[in-house]
Amino acid sequence: MYPILLSILFPILAGLFLLIRYRTPLSSRAGTAKRKTLVILTGSFLIITVLLTVIAIFTAKEGFTLFYLTETLPVYFRIDKAGTLFSLLAVVVLLCAGFFSFEYMKHEERESRYYGFYLLLFGVLNALCFAGNLITFYLFFELLTLTSTPLVLHTGSKEAVMAGLKYLFYSLCGAYTALFGIYFLYKNSVTLAFTAGGVLKASAIAEHGGFLLAVAFVMILGFGVKAGMFPMHAWLPAAHPVAPAPASAVLSAMIVKAGVLAIIRVVTMFGRDFLRNTWMQTAWICLTLITVFMGSLLAYREPVLKKRLAYSTVSQLSYILFGLAVMNEEALAGSLLHVLAHGFVKAALFLCAGAIIYKTGKTRVEEMRGIGREMPLTMWCFTIASLGLIGIPPTGGFISKWYLAIGSLKSGLPVLAVLGPIVLLVSALLTAGYLLPLTINGFFPGANFDYDKLQKKEPCKLMTVPILILTVLSVLVGIFPDGIAPVLALAGL
Amino acid sequence: MNFICNFPFFSILLSLFSGTICSVLSAKAAKLVNRVVIVAVGIMSAILLLYLLSTGEPFVYWMGHFPAPWGNEIRAGVLEAGMALFFCIIMYLSMAGGAHKLFGEVVENKHNLYYILVNLLLSSLLALVYTNDMFTAYVFVEINTISACGLIMIRQVGRTIEAAVRYMIMSLLGSGLLLFGLCIMYDLTGHLLMSNIKESVGLLMANGEYPIPLIVSVALMCVGLCIKSALFPFHAWLPDAYGYSTVSSAAILSSLVSKGYIFLLIKIIYRVIGFNIFNSTRIIDVLFVFGLMGMIFGSISAIRENDIRRMIAYSSVAQIGYIYMGFGMGTQAGMVASVFHILSHAATKSLLFIAAIGLTDVSGGSRKLTDLTGAAYRNKWAGAAFMAGSLSMVGVPLFSGFISKLLFSQAAVQVEGKMLASLIVLGISTVLNAIYFMKTVIRIYTSNRESAYPSVTFRDMKSYAAVLICFMILNVILGVSSQPVVDMIQLGLAMFD
Amino acid sequence: MGPNLLANYGEAVSAILFCIGFTNLLLQTNLIKKIIGLNIMDSAIYLFLAEKGYIAGRVAPIVVNGVTSTEAYINPIPAGLVLTGIVVSVSVTALMLSLTIRLYTRYHTLDLDEISAQLKREGK
Repeated sequence: MYPILLSILFPILAGLFLLIRYRTPLSSRAGTAKRKTLVILTGSFLIITVLLTVIAIFTAKEGFTLFYLTETLPVYFRIDKAGTLFSLLAVVVLLCAGFFSFEYMKHEERESRYYGFYLLLFGVLNALCFAGNLITFYLFFELLTLTSTPLVLHTGSKEAVMAGLKYLFYSLCGAYTALFGIYFLYKNSVTLAFTAGGVLKASAIAEHGGFLLAVAFVMILGFGVKAGMFPMHAWLPAAHPVAPAPASAVLSAMIVKAGVLAIIRVVTMFGRDFLRNTWMQTAWICLTLITVFMGSLLAYREPVLKKRLAYSTVSQLSYILFGLAVMNEEALAGSLLHVLAHGFVKAALFLCAGAIIYKTGKTRVEEMRGIGREMPLTMWCFTIASLGLIGIPPTGGFISKWYLAIGSLKSGLPVLAVLGPIVLLVSALLTAGYLLPLTINGFFPGANFDYDKLQKKEPCKLMTVPILILTVLSVLVGIFPDGIAPVLALAGL
Repeated sequence: MNFICNFPFFSILLSLFSGTICSVLSAKAAKLVNRVVIVAVGIMSAILLLYLLSTGEPFVYWMGHFPAPWGNEIRAGVLEAGMALFFCIIMYLSMAGGAHKLFGEVVENKHNLYYILVNLLLSSLLALVYTNDMFTAYVFVEINTISACGLIMIRQVGRTIEAAVRYMIMSLLGSGLLLFGLCIMYDLTGHLLMSNIKESVGLLMANGEYPIPLIVSVALMCVGLCIKSALFPFHAWLPDAYGYSTVSSAAILSSLVSKGYIFLLIKIIYRVIGFNIFNSTRIIDVLFVFGLMGMIFGSISAIRENDIRRMIAYSSVAQIGYIYMGFGMGTQAGMVASVFHILSHAATKSLLFIAAIGLTDVSGGSRKLTDLTGAAYRNKWAGAAFMAGSLSMVGVPLFSGFISKLLFSQAAVQVEGKMLASLIVLGISTVLNAIYFMKTVIRIYTSNRESAYPSVTFRDMKSYAAVLICFMILNVILGVSSQPVVDMIQLGLAMFD
Repeated sequence: MGPNLLANYGEAVSAILFCIGFTNLLLQTNLIKKIIGLNIMDSAIYLFLAEKGYIAGRVAPIVVNGVTSTEAYINPIPAGLVLTGIVVSVSVTALMLSLTIRLYTRYHTLDLDEISAQLKREGK
């Protein structure tokens, strides 16, 4: 029990410590020495948290109950395979983005607040991944929203505040919709602990199965808000770009995945056999396909880079949800691989965008002509990551989309079995359409480009190394998918 | 009879007489007497609660040793003692939290009057909680009204006097209806003691006699108490009364006075009419509908409000709607949720009022939301407390508000006909709550460089910060270890029969 | 319904009076008229109580000539309730009147809506 508890409590306490210790903003002149200690402190906290998390993942075998919320609702933690997968992704993304932000946040104000909430977020994410029953999961799902909001509205501009509010309302609405589902589930199930194969009472299925399907659908819609599923996706393109770039990376690569994890849990609770081949599955697949297509289309038309990436997140997240909705082995494997692939790729892309903003201040795509000549390493990483997102072998995106398509074709669903892969393919083309022009114009700005204006603007190692790590990982997922296969053999899903 | 059984009577009399004594004391001495009395009553209630938990039996105390049905009785069970204890805690914290503002708000030579009113209010609340006699309840309802009115108008501004008049008018309408209902009940049953009335009502219902007058009487009492506890649409007086009175008054009024009436209504439901008979009438449907409407319209009014204290006041309307919705479900679980919400709302709302005053103080006394930008940085404790209160109101896990919403939803799931309506309205109201509370929290945490207002530090306001911390702890305790409290409520409600 | 109403005309009258008082208290804008409405409402309830306590052919429960049989007297409790009620209503009326005086000296009108309008204009 202690490793799990430590990995949750340590970052939370460390975050609170930073928030309390550095209450007043550091002044620009006297602050440099103080800033150094702050950065070193945060860095060591981050590393310790990562170590603790890894130790927890590999040592804690048994679950434990922390305390009882009410008589029948324990706050219960247990590490299972899905939790391990998401937690490992979180560790990598948060570590990379964290080190990236030490350089990036130099030009932002109130750094200490950012780091404080960053660490808090880490703890809450750990708790979310390690939650052993639905009510504990819900508890930390809400806390995740609350701790990530300060990152969204960090800059404090009117736009950021509005985006933060939007984020908050969409998330709260979604979470409460899901909460009501939890009440019904609670009434009709044996337990709320995550159990392989579903927890519904047989009598409940027999009596009001149709109603329970509706409940499952409502819960998926509710948690789907966090994963940016149509029709409640509007918060995502508003909230992700206004945050500082490393925070956008965490939001897009990790926080939205909390919604995915939630939906995995919901599907586990209801049991795949119960949900398969019902109207609810059809409706859900339709929603995900709409989102996939719409997200890509909107990203294609978006001129601001970070917003374009945010729309791309909307689209890519629904690839994952599509795989979950198809509900057979291949599609699920594809989904979980895509969780990893998209996590690494999107974090790398946002960090690249951040590096560009940090060095040149350019935010719009058309301003970035010739950027590849100025920041070659960054743009190379950007290109490789883009290829991963499009799904070109040997990157991770290729394997995951391959599995998704195979799963869909094997599912035997009328129309959708074929329509699914087609939509995925079209969307992949659109992805190429909105990501590759950056590379092409970046490296080959055209004949009429003024090459003399170019300067060497490659950022320092604190920024390039995290990007590099993430890019390499995104490729490795594709080359060695077997390496993560044991993780993917998800118990009971 | 054990000596401890005298405690309810002692606590009522102690607070009543200390009120009278305060009139001849200096302001300082009156303050001391007030604090000591609240603490003493709190301790007595705590001992009583422990005693009742150990015996597991409620007891009836004959005033002047006249047996029923002639004498006047006091009755104490777990729920009564627990409520009395809780009221004392909230009252003490509210008084302590608003003490530093009193000098600016009330004329110096009227301070002891203020303490008289508070003591009277405490005694009437205790009497409402403990009494077993309907007419005594009515008399103390009136005393409660008068002292509450005094608490509103002790700050002599035009707005408060007007608010006091409006409050009085609505309250008098309510108590008129209550009295009329009570007289009809007396006419039908021939008794004034709750236990005797219940017996007769049971007989009347079994024989099918006087069904219409009985319903009319119950309805009149219910409507009367609804008006007095500001259920939508009888809430017109509330924003002014809570918004402009002194901060302690606002905290006490919102968290205790209306709850006293609601507690009396619970006693009437259980001890006078009988829970099952009450649930077989259509009155619970009416309460249910008005509760739901209150939850929505209260929040909408709060969203449109630009004055932080009036906003919190409107939020009370919504929260009272929750409580009545619980009554309207007509199940034991709904009732438990309502009683828990009484506690949770009292702990949260007084916290919000007291935190709001800290925020307005560092914004040049302005209560406009626009002027409060960045106030949480100028007064950190008030900011943190306001945030904690808001989170609890929105129903975020780990705070008391979450547990009450959980209990309400669990209760709603068990009621077939009302399940969907209550869950949907709960959801809408939660989101509406989130809109105005989170909006405010973000505003007070948005840094504002232009503001010329000075900040305050912990050293400037030790007692104030201590009160806020106590409130926050209370909130988190209710939110994290709610089970013992819920058990106690269930035990207490079981003792009512 | 008809014969019942005739037999209980006292209660019917008190109920009507109660309604008159109630509507006055609720709807009048003039504060003094409101207070009069309050008093009508309260008196109606006392009338109701007195009516209920009275038993035809009996006398007030004051022992004269040594008659102690309970059959001879009417029920004393309603009378006690009425007395208590009167005390309450007097104190409430006094409070309302004092509030009215304060408002009048401040705003020179007894019209509650007018006062609200003035307060709005002051903007406080």
